[in-house]
Amino acid sequence: MNPELANAGQENLPRAAYRAWLAAAWIAAVFCLALSATLLYQRATATTNDPWKSPQLRELKARLAQAPKDTQIKTQIRALDLEYRQRFFRRLRMDRTGGWLLLGGVTVFLLAAQQAAGLRKTQAAPQPSPDAAAEALRQAGHARWAVGVGGAVVCGCLAFVALNTQTCLPASAADIPQLFGKTSGGAASAAGELFPLAEFQANWPRFRGPDGSGCSPKGTAPLAWDEQAKTGVVWKSAIPLPGFNSPIVWGNRVFISGGDAEKRAVFCYDTADGKLVWERPIENVAGSPAKAPEIMEQTGYAASTMATDGRRVYVIFANGDLAALGFDGAVVWSKHLGVPKNQYGHATSLAVWQGKLIVQLDQGEGEPGNSRLTVFDGSTGKVVWEKARKVPGSWASPIVVEAAGKTQIITAGVPWLAAYAFADGAELWKAEVLDGEVTPSPILAGGLICGASPSNKLTAFRPDGSGDVTKTHLAWTSEENIPDVTSPATNGELIFYITSSGMLTCLDAKDGKKLWEHDFEVEMQASPGIAGNRVYVVSTTGQAWVFEAAREYKELGKGALDDKFFASPAFAAGRLYLRGNASLYCIGEK
Amino acid sequence: MRRFLNILLGFLLLGSTALAEQRFPPPDFESGYKIPAPTTPFARAEFLQYLDMAALLAALGVSLWLVYRSRSRRGIAALSLCSLAYFGFYRKGCVCAIGSVQNVALAMFDSHYALPLTALVFFLAPLVVALFAGRAFCAAVCPQGAIQDLVLLKPIKVPAWLEHALGLIPSLFLGAGVIFAATGSGFIICRYDPMVPFFRFNGSSLMLGVGAAFLLVGMFVGRPYCRFLCPYGALLRMATAASQWRVRVTPDTCTQCALCQHSCPFGALREPVPAAKSESLRGARKRLTVLLLLLPVWIGLGALGGSKLATAASMVNPTVKLAERYVRSLSGGEKEPLEIQRAEKNPEPVVASALDIRKRFELCGWLFGGWAGLVLGAKFIALSTRRKRSDFEPDPGACYACARCFETCPSERIRRGLMPVELEPTNKE
Repeated sequence: MNPELANAGQENLPRAAYRAWLAAAWIAAVFCLALSATLLYQRATATTNDPWKSPQLRELKARLAQAPKDTQIKTQIRALDLEYRQRFFRRLRMDRTGGWLLLGGVTVFLLAAQQAAGLRKTQAAPQPSPDAAAEALRQAGHARWAVGVGGAVVCGCLAFVALNTQTCLPASAADIPQLFGKTSGGAASAAGELFPLAEFQANWPRFRGPDGSGCSPKGTAPLAWDEQAKTGVVWKSAIPLPGFNSPIVWGNRVFISGGDAEKRAVFCYDTADGKLVWERPIENVAGSPAKAPEIMEQTGYAASTMATDGRRVYVIFANGDLAALGFDGAVVWSKHLGVPKNQYGHATSLAVWQGKLIVQLDQGEGEPGNSRLTVFDGSTGKVVWEKARKVPGSWASPIVVEAAGKTQIITAGVPWLAAYAFADGAELWKAEVLDGEVTPSPILAGGLICGASPSNKLTAFRPDGSGDVTKTHLAWTSEENIPDVTSPATNGELIFYITSSGMLTCLDAKDGKKLWEHDFEVEMQASPGIAGNRVYVVSTTGQAWVFEAAREYKELGKGALDDKFFASPAFAAGRLYLRGNASLYCIGEK
Repeated sequence: MRRFLNILLGFLLLGSTALAEQRFPPPDFESGYKIPAPTTPFARAEFLQYLDMAALLAALGVSLWLVYRSRSRRGIAALSLCSLAYFGFYRKGCVCAIGSVQNVALAMFDSHYALPLTALVFFLAPLVVALFAGRAFCAAVCPQGAIQDLVLLKPIKVPAWLEHALGLIPSLFLGAGVIFAATGSGFIICRYDPMVPFFRFNGSSLMLGVGAAFLLVGMFVGRPYCRFLCPYGALLRMATAASQWRVRVTPDTCTQCALCQHSCPFGALREPVPAAKSESLRGARKRLTVLLLLLPVWIGLGALGGSKLATAASMVNPTVKLAERYVRSLSGGEKEPLEIQRAEKNPEPVVASALDIRKRFELCGWLFGGWAGLVLGAKFIALSTRRKRSDFEPDPGACYACARCFETCPSERIRRGLMPVELEPTNKE
């Protein structure tokens, strides 16, 4: 054999081997990259198949919440859930297989790469540095700079963290009792307060009167008034900020709230002359976003009516700010409840009972953890209890009733008309009767709790049940001219309600039978109110009618004011208080 | 080949453990079915703890023998594999010397905590060895080091300035780990150990990602976790300063061929440095004097700054977090979530306890800041100190005793009969 040819063959052999290993490494690398990309893509897209995150499944669950007995939806949910679970486990199997394939690919890559590198490896021939001392000095200098800069970066990061950390904890243990609303002696300050029940019932302390029925049983109010003729209007005062909330009255004070995106405030008027006694902006509430959320103009920032227990007045706005003020206008406490997730804006009014403030905050689409009923200590703002509610956003206001030997808080939110124990928030009973966008508030009429599904039906339940009383405690149902926005009013014997189009209906509270109806043929947004044996309805254009609270329609008087009216009437000390868009009116005798 | 298999094993773990993180949500049962409560596994048998200690001591002994007597790179690689298998995959990275620092710190600050004997032995044994014979633990016993050593493919040299700057991190991490452990806030060294998720076939996406990044970087930068993050390594580095026996490239004469420096993937070999000239020494002495005088200032400033970190650091503590949520829910800023309701705790003692913990953090903040100042000041001093060196020598603090340099040293190869004497290079050549 020719020696030259033999040498050439020996040189070619490593070269060919190198190329082969290099090609193998490349192929393995491409395979690994493609496989990794596939696995990552699969992992990223897998989240859409997560039953917790699936929009389709959420939507079905929301529909089920609206119609819990719909077996078709249940079947769909089960099928979809099963499919997602099967997909999940299929993906797990694929991932596992992919992982093994990746391992194989990486093995081949590393093996090939090292073999290829070994064939190209050259023997190192390092030499000591000719000027090692100077080099060492230079390196030390660079290292000092690097350490200095590195140290400064670390210090800067730590300083940033330290400066941007805020704590809610008190400065010292001595502040803990104050934090939990206790005096230094350890007794709750609110415990010493007596609930002035007689005063409470004599005033108009919350939305639609002491018990939320829209009735002042012993109250009286004028029969006729006319602003243009200057008769019957005791005083009229300008309202600085807009709002759809109704006035509340305690003693010689009338309170309303108003607000817009820039400012929210409480206004206190003197009942004697309508003079604005004080105006208190509610601002700098801890946790409240600097920029107010966007709220529909039709609802506004101050749709919720205030409440008072005679010692403090309470206010809530659609941005989630809640505050308690003294009768002198000083803010006693305030807190931000989070911006309510409400498509139209929060409009549920506050309720008070025995020194406690009741806040129904229904929001969202019925997801767990969104809606809640909270009872606060009125004097401190401390949460007494809180109950999660599995209901979507609602606009009805809670009422407090004494029934079946218990103090019950009645709430309305799709689909439940539900009662909670005032003492501890335990759910006493619930009835699955509500649908639509629940705005009319529940009432206690003739010992029955009535709740309205807007434009659909009014249902009455005996309040002495427990658990689901939908079938067991139903007293009656009426489908006659059910209101869409306004709440019914009752004197215990009769129920009056009016639709937005002005159709008034009177029912017998005992059996829900319609006694009569009367069409005023004018837009009505304010709920009816009852003072003694007189029922008052006010149209959006300021026209008002007074009729007898009787088993047949009998008109007693009329009124007319030059404003737009959406808020419900308030009665106190023989006077009628009406909130217009621009002015607060006091109707009565001077 | 063995190295490749281990590299691939690492990648396998990377691929497969990522899947284990996702939890499948339980269905909403309407039938009243209750999901069974999880049961607690039995405690590990006591004799197995003694087995762990025996394994550690034996591995340390074998490592010392391999580094100082046998001087075998293959032996060290084999022992690394065994350590990785036992302390890493079988014991799932726990108990380990790195995390044991926290057990000791907690035992020192909390009289109610009983320090397990295993943790004490794992903390002390490698330190004692380092005090006398360098980092034999890192060489072949530590599973974290072993997995990085096995994935090392083509090491590149990290610039000295970067090495020194990043070298601050382990000491700071050590200080933070000790403080969080001492305040009962958690073992952050274990929680943020990037290798443990691979040992356990489980872990958060974050830690799996960080671990994968370390292993990928580790293919080109030798032992990045050991050099730039390991808090126990910072302790061992300090201990080796006093070590009696040190790793030597060759017991024979150094020919100053620099092959050992070239072969070291960790930049631990220091080249010969002649004595400095007297004129250049004057400036260096001045700088050193200033830095020595500034050391108390560094410590003081650090302590002051550290005290300001108390509030931020205390947020890591679960009791403080719970108290914060209680107080936030009180002020209405946050709705009381289900887990708080389920905690069924009286919030007042929780808040009181949180304030107590925060007070401890204030003290620990001073200590941490002082420690950070000391580390920084000492580093400056070390970088301003000159040492005369006549031969290539491993830096005892930076050397992991991996024995790679033994195999490349011509003198060592001749001593072991791997190279003919006539090929021995000389200084002149």
